[in-house]
Amino acid sequence: MPLLDLGAAVAIGLRYFTIIYLTGLGGLFSERSGIVNIGLEGMMIIGTVMGAWGTLEYGPVAGLVIGAAGGLGLGLVHALATVTFRVDHIVSGVVINVVAVGLARFLAQTFFGQATQSDPSIPHFDKFDVPLLSQLPLGLGRAFEAMSPVVPAAFLLTIPILFVLNKTRFGLRLRSAGENPGRDPSRRCACSSASLRRRHDLGSVGGAGGGLPRDRGERALPRRPDAGTGIHRAGGSDPRQLEAGVVDARCSVVRIRSGGSAEAQRRAPVISVLPEQFIRMIPYVVTMIAIAGFVGRVQPPAAAGRVRRRGGSL
Amino acid sequence: MSARTITPTPTRSPWVELIGGQALALGGAFLFAALVGALIIRAYGVSPLEVYRIIWVYSSSELSDFARVLANATPLIFSGLAVAVAFKAGLFNIGVEGQYIVAMLTASMAALGLDFLPSALLLPAVVLNGMLGGALWALIPGLLKVRTGAHEVVTTIMMNGIALSLVAWALLDPLKSSEQGLVDLRTDIFTTKALVPTIATSLGLEEQIPGSVHLTWLFPLALLSCALVWFLLFRTRLGYEIRAIGSSSGSAEAGGISIRSLQLKAFVISGALGGLVGLNNLLGDRGYLGHNYEIGLGFAGITVAFLGRNHPLGIALAAILLGMLARGQEGIAVTFELPSETLIILEGILILSVVIAYEMVRRGLARRRQRAVRAEERAISTEGAEDAPA
Repeated sequence: MPLLDLGAAVAIGLRYFTIIYLTGLGGLFSERSGIVNIGLEGMMIIGTVMGAWGTLEYGPVAGLVIGAAGGLGLGLVHALATVTFRVDHIVSGVVINVVAVGLARFLAQTFFGQATQSDPSIPHFDKFDVPLLSQLPLGLGRAFEAMSPVVPAAFLLTIPILFVLNKTRFGLRLRSAGENPGRDPSRRCACSSASLRRRHDLGSVGGAGGGLPRDRGERALPRRPDAGTGIHRAGGSDPRQLEAGVVDARCSVVRIRSGGSAEAQRRAPVISVLPEQFIRMIPYVVTMIAIAGFVGRVQPPAAAGRVRRRGGSL
Repeated sequence: MSARTITPTPTRSPWVELIGGQALALGGAFLFAALVGALIIRAYGVSPLEVYRIIWVYSSSELSDFARVLANATPLIFSGLAVAVAFKAGLFNIGVEGQYIVAMLTASMAALGLDFLPSALLLPAVVLNGMLGGALWALIPGLLKVRTGAHEVVTTIMMNGIALSLVAWALLDPLKSSEQGLVDLRTDIFTTKALVPTIATSLGLEEQIPGSVHLTWLFPLALLSCALVWFLLFRTRLGYEIRAIGSSSGSAEAGGISIRSLQLKAFVISGALGGLVGLNNLLGDRGYLGHNYEIGLGFAGITVAFLGRNHPLGIALAAILLGMLARGQEGIAVTFELPSETLIILEGILILSVVIAYEMVRRGLARRRQRAVRAEERAISTEGAEDAPA
């Protein structure tokens, strides 16, 4: 038995990566438009329940879409509160998380007849072996065997997201709304609608993140389905330079390390010197170090979190 | 020369307007939340009025019911105060959750390690150790905030995650009970000297209030904390400075207030208050730290603080209200074919509408005041023009 089953570790890392990465993209959109979204956690939770229900009723693809729609619904609530009613972003986000837990249990009770999980045998995407990669030597190929198609899809999503963000008018407006919403009077009105629109995208991507675990039919819905992960992501997507590509790199590294090593520990007693609980702390510590600026300067959009008031109005 | 014609601005004092406006906002938000809640309840084929009546009956019909409500409210008051103190300084302490979890750990360490002390010393030592743990856990994000500018929202959330793992590790290894054949993962049971007595036993009310109601002397302590926080914020220099940096850090700095050291102080005070959140559960109910300790109280504190307008009195009332809803949930679960989670949704809608309503009232009042000032200015300037020689 090898000291460390690298293939299995990477496979677990990739699985976590997908969930967090999709949510991170949601965080990216909202953060770049200047809206802090602590409510990603809640959007993931609702996405999970809605996705499970959608999958049960209409199959996995519809499940993904319905899961995203669930996140979008909460994204709309957040947009209504922060953009229209100018409630503080954090307050609204926290409330959304509170509501989401109750709403998820309520919906699960309604859909599945029990508050904490759906029928574990719901349909899911067919798994497939990634060609070529699954042939890698040294056990590395195992990482790419029996993979859910959502994983590579999430990877590929990076390209259109980068394009939208950097090469379209919509992306430019989005970014300028985040940096300096009041700069150009002619754009002022567009701002609120742009960030309203923004929030939709964000919500839906956030929701998709939650939708995923269900679609794969791998996971029961515990009391706090994606406990911590949504919020964790919101933390990581803060920085301005955090282009989609960086979100990508950062999450995967962090998660492969945490998810992977927990599993690896079970397989390779050599690593068990460090208790599993400390390994679980690593992603949080890494994020704190990154935010504290010890690893290069990370800077959020200038107007992130600020409630926007038109002109001098109160 | 014409007589002075400036009409006095409305004679209602701004204070009355503020109170009236807030009452209006609160009433409107409650009504709105009750209506939306009624729609959800209706969809389940249950009468909303009946549900609301059950909440009331379950939380007020007997002395023991009300005691349960207050027991529910105890941790919420502490955590609401913790959030509010930080918020008054313009800081978001999302980390009360982690702070009280770590505080439960440090309090347990004191309860287990100092058990040779007499009760009069042990109990304060345990409580203080809890506050110390919470303050320490808040100190880290506080330091990062003032030294590196790391946003406290992100760092405190990360600290919450670390706290969960830390306690899990402590329960698995150093603090794990040495008793054999335990099903639950927990510490040794504390000596009774370390436990907070319930009010019922101290006052001889066991007849009316059964032992399952954990209304302890921590509730009066919570009320006392409200008074102390009020005194700190509104009657001391430190509190004044905290409020100053919260409402306008620029002017506060110009006024010679050191923002960084104050932010750190506010964060530590907030963490110390946060350290008291878990103690009712730990010292009033269980008497040991187990893996299934109560979670979510820190986040609930955020909603309590906002429902209570970050004012100590408001926080106490808001905590009692949420305590009633929690009690009502039990009532609903046994009375209706309705998921008791409905009340959590109701709570969320209520808080969101309260926050929005307050914001709308605040804006409305500010606009009125602005209009009044403008009208006054206009009156003065036209009068000045009349006075000028033609």
